[in-house]
Amino acid sequence: MNVNVVKSGDYSIISVEGRVDTTNAGEFEKAVMEVVNSGINMIIFNCSGLNYISSSGLRVFLIVQKRMMANKGQLKLCSLQPGITEIFDISGFSSIFSIFPDQDSAEKAG
Amino acid sequence: MKRTTLSYHIIRNVLLFCIGLFLVTFSIYYYFTRNTIRDDTSENAIFMAKNIVNRIEQVLTPAEKNPEIIAKMLESSFLDKDSLVPFLKSMLKGNQNVYGSIIAYEPNFFPEQGLYFAPYVYRQGDSINSSILGDKNYEYFYMDWYQIPKITNAPYWSEPYFDEGGGNVLMTTYSVPFYTYKNGQRTFSGIVTVDISLEWLTKIMSQVKILNTGYAFLLSRNGVIIAHPNKDYVMNQSIFTIARENNQPALRETGRKMIQGKSNFESAGFKSEWKPGKLWINYAPLPSSNWSIAVIYPEDEMFASLHRMNIILIVLILFGLSVLSFVIYKIVKKLTAPLKHFAESARLIAAGNFNVHLPEIKTDDEMKELHNSFSFMQKELGDYVINLKDTTAAKEKIESELRIAKEIQMSMIPHIFPPFPDLPQIDVFAVLKSAKEVGGDLYDFFVIDGNKFCFAIGDVSGKGVPASLFMAVTRTLVRSISDKEYSPSVIVGTLNKSISQNNESSMFVTFFLGVLDLSNGNLKYTNAGHNPPVIIKNNKEAVMFEKTKYIPVGLFEDFEYGESSLQLESGDKIFLYTDGVSEAENSENKLFGDGTIMDIVSMNVTASPRELIGKMEEGISAHVNGFAQSDDITMMTIVYNG
Repeated sequence: MNVNVVKSGDYSIISVEGRVDTTNAGEFEKAVMEVVNSGINMIIFNCSGLNYISSSGLRVFLIVQKRMMANKGQLKLCSLQPGITEIFDISGFSSIFSIFPDQDSAEKAG
Repeated sequence: MKRTTLSYHIIRNVLLFCIGLFLVTFSIYYYFTRNTIRDDTSENAIFMAKNIVNRIEQVLTPAEKNPEIIAKMLESSFLDKDSLVPFLKSMLKGNQNVYGSIIAYEPNFFPEQGLYFAPYVYRQGDSINSSILGDKNYEYFYMDWYQIPKITNAPYWSEPYFDEGGGNVLMTTYSVPFYTYKNGQRTFSGIVTVDISLEWLTKIMSQVKILNTGYAFLLSRNGVIIAHPNKDYVMNQSIFTIARENNQPALRETGRKMIQGKSNFESAGFKSEWKPGKLWINYAPLPSSNWSIAVIYPEDEMFASLHRMNIILIVLILFGLSVLSFVIYKIVKKLTAPLKHFAESARLIAAGNFNVHLPEIKTDDEMKELHNSFSFMQKELGDYVINLKDTTAAKEKIESELRIAKEIQMSMIPHIFPPFPDLPQIDVFAVLKSAKEVGGDLYDFFVIDGNKFCFAIGDVSGKGVPASLFMAVTRTLVRSISDKEYSPSVIVGTLNKSISQNNESSMFVTFFLGVLDLSNGNLKYTNAGHNPPVIIKNNKEAVMFEKTKYIPVGLFEDFEYGESSLQLESGDKIFLYTDGVSEAENSENKLFGDGTIMDIVSMNVTASPRELIGKMEEGISAHVNGFAQSDDITMMTIVYNG
């Protein structure tokens, strides 16, 4: 798993690559929460390199989503691979996250 | 492999090196020593030859003086005829080497004496006698000793000869011509001789000893042997007759050079019966008499001392090498003795005895370092094992607690099949396999009010102890909520509200809950973010439930859950599972997948709940092929026989 954070306009783009599963979900949470705790509340997860996510990984997205909702910030997900989209669909998560096909459209959307 | 010792290796290598060194040193030593010995022996032989020459000359040169003085005295008429005999007698008395002396006059020199006049004085025993030689039977002036100096006008040493009439000794005669003045003319008048015994010569020669058997011999100017250790040769043989008899041309060549008055030191080209090996010869002339002396000795004697030395040297070196080997063996044994102990200690330590006694090292060298390292290892291993024991004990404690927790967890879900023998309308089979001791999956089923069959399957995010606690909470809440409630959406909604409050950890449960009315087959269900189950209609058609639009339980307390309904016919089956099934991975990270699930279900539409789950387990097991299970696996099959 690889987590990379870059600034793009108003948003912090967090790129996730590889697998997020039980073994490294804690690590993923720590990396993401560092960004969230720094006061940033405009976040886009670029998931183009994300191959697999387990429920522990989904939990991290949920934590961020809850924080953003509390802080009146924004969380967007983009570039989900079909397998990941499937997981989001099955779990009903698609309905609680703003999901965009690519980073560009995510940044442009209000 | 043959076991060899360290001392064997060291001794072998050191010995090979020493032997090599010795061979090189010995070869050089041998070469130079051989040359030195040859040169020394040669010098010695030359010196000895010169010495003999000198000693012979010491006798011969004074012996020449007497006749020469007499000749001068006769020439100056210092002696008259009558005083000749007394004069010669007195000369003999004063010269022990002179055996006899003659003054032989020319025929008719003294007319009153007649044709012959040759006074002769000689030794007989201890007395000195005299006579006058010359008569018809002994016409001395035809003798060699008279003729040769007369003709050559020069003194002459005769060939040595045996004086058979006199003393039976080897003699030689020195003849000097003398002159008188007749009518003012210096005229040859006769010969003065001295006979000199050569007995002393044999004595001198016999004293010559070179090496063990080396000897000297003397040749006359004609090559006749004058002195030789073999008495039979003396005056009987010449070097040339010996060469011919023994067929040794090289000896003849040497003899020729000798009588030509040459001197040389050389390796002899000839062989001798006397010694079978190679011979060396050194020869030199005697200036006065034209004799030649030779010293001859065998080569093996020349180098005998060297060979003796070599044997001593080799014996010494062999002895030295043996001692060296022994000393090395002792030293190495002493030095490496602790190694054996270390090896034993290492074995004992490996066997778990960390308090084993290490050998004491008194030296401050590598062995000490080894000792220290060993001692350090011993201590570290001891500490490590104590640590490990503590850790293991703690781990075992946790494991045992986890085992108990697992038992408790498993006791919370129904696990007696068939669960409702008195309810023929329904049959259920379910399995739950945690990836760890305890897991976050759950299933449950129970009957409400006698005819409402409630069943649920769920998956808590994450695994292990936190998930299991969350699962226990969920299961307990479901049971208590559905105690008086039949609507799946109300049950799930109430569950969500309870869990969402105070959910600091943001954990969640995907949850499917259905309530089947056993009286009419009507199924109401709510899917909160769970994998859609599979329904098998009429024992032939398998389809997946639609994907849900409801999120998992525990996220937002105000979330509104709805419910769907489905009419089941008798024999319809529902297969429920968690993502541990669909996402079962093999070593290549390939997921089991919904498609495979559907395939297996479709192939086993008529199977009993237990059989279907068995087939699914086989399928999963074949797919993961021994790869470690990463997530909890839960499956439940319900068949409605209404």
